[in-house]
Amino acid sequence: MDVALFADGGAAGLARYWLALLPAALGFVGVYCLLPQAKGGRPMLGTLLGGAALALTGWLLLRHDGILPERILFYAFSALAIVGGGMVLAQRNPVHAALSFALVVLSTCGLFLLLAAPFLMAATIIVYAGAIVVTFLFVIMLAQQAGLASADQRSREPFLASLAGYILIGALLCVLEKTFDARTIDAALERIDAVARAESVDDARRQFGEIRKLFDDPQKPGSDRTLPVDEMKRLIPQTDQDLLEAEFLLNARDLPKLKAMFRKLHQQGLQARLSIGVLTADEKQPATPFSQGPLDAAGRHALPAQNVAGLGRTLFADYLLPIELAGILLLVASIGAIAIAARRPEGLR
Amino acid sequence: MSPLTLHDYLAVGAILFGLGMVGFLARRNLIIMFLSAEMMLQGVALNLTAFARYRGNLQGQAFVLFLLTVAACEAAIALALILMLFRRNRSLDVSLWQELREDDQPPNLDEEPLPPAPEPEPLPQLTPAGHEPVHAEPSHEEASHV
Repeated sequence: MDVALFADGGAAGLARYWLALLPAALGFVGVYCLLPQAKGGRPMLGTLLGGAALALTGWLLLRHDGILPERILFYAFSALAIVGGGMVLAQRNPVHAALSFALVVLSTCGLFLLLAAPFLMAATIIVYAGAIVVTFLFVIMLAQQAGLASADQRSREPFLASLAGYILIGALLCVLEKTFDARTIDAALERIDAVARAESVDDARRQFGEIRKLFDDPQKPGSDRTLPVDEMKRLIPQTDQDLLEAEFLLNARDLPKLKAMFRKLHQQGLQARLSIGVLTADEKQPATPFSQGPLDAAGRHALPAQNVAGLGRTLFADYLLPIELAGILLLVASIGAIAIAARRPEGLR
Repeated sequence: MSPLTLHDYLAVGAILFGLGMVGFLARRNLIIMFLSAEMMLQGVALNLTAFARYRGNLQGQAFVLFLLTVAACEAAIALALILMLFRRNRSLDVSLWQELREDDQPPNLDEEPLPPAPEPEPLPQLTPAGHEPVHAEPSHEEASHV
């Protein structure tokens, strides 16, 4: 895993990640066109390019087939969040920008729900609802007095700003693509699934040959070992034994048993696929058992169902001192806000 | 049928963060800059929650609670500062404060003139309906009755 990002060098290295860089580039041009400018802003073109970037990003994530309700909700919420974020940048009227920000917050709350964090969803809505109402008051009080201000119709260095955003997003997406590269295990899972669905022994034998190709000597003609097998062996540890056993079952022409075995292997592979790029918690960390859920069947920590209770115990067991500090911070911030904003007589300024 | 992975959520968080950064750098209205900074915080909160979900512990969610606290403090202080800056200059334009720049930095001037403001739309007028009644000159006799 500890390979430099562009170890294979220059343009060829970048070309591997074109799938992540292309939508980011489209979004860069789109955002540049959408930013308010005195001259040269093309909102229609910007909207089109931004929509294309969004669709491409969706496809980039959707490459892994399968439509589940969770997936549909995820795409709906994240598309809303990103469109809202783009609208905060593009709106010339600050009231509309604040409304778009409310859209971003609400869709992020939907994503929190998908991530099994209902308490955070409620807390975010409560905190940001207050913040947005206050922002509205400010906008109406300050910005709407003399119509659209000239500051809202111009941007400061729109090209450089969108370029910086493109470099940041492109680099982040490339690193994510590299860290969560699931192509190895997807190819293996596809072949394992094919064996599990085989109609006859001969069919299974042919599909099994495809799996063996993954593990063959790369010098042999017909070998398909372009995929890092070691990585796959790390994710599914007992592959070697299973393959030996599968060969035995194939020779015994025991199709039902073989299919059952490969179905189980497929399930384990799906589990392993979820764990790509996930750091395992350090056992030596002084976290109390409260913040760790009970162990699931696979021996990993699952999130507890009682989200609020668990979160409360975590806060007051693991994070007792930080939560006191957070309270002090809130107090100091409110005092500071009053001290800054209070009207004082002219001589005291 | 592969379920959602950590990668998907991290990508959305990264995009939100990047958009917020572009907004903070490019927009000149103080309130919109503040909203963009909040949007960056939302991206980070999404990242932390996703890590909590996929690592199977609640520490990420606890971090998001602290992040919410800091965001609330930031909102209070930022809006108070915006109010004070507005009182000084009667404007939300952040470029009016560019005398705070370093000595050797060139000033940021608006060279392009703004496009002329569009003419305000004329108020709608009802089309006249019916006939205007004939105004007969009141006779002297009727006028004498009044």
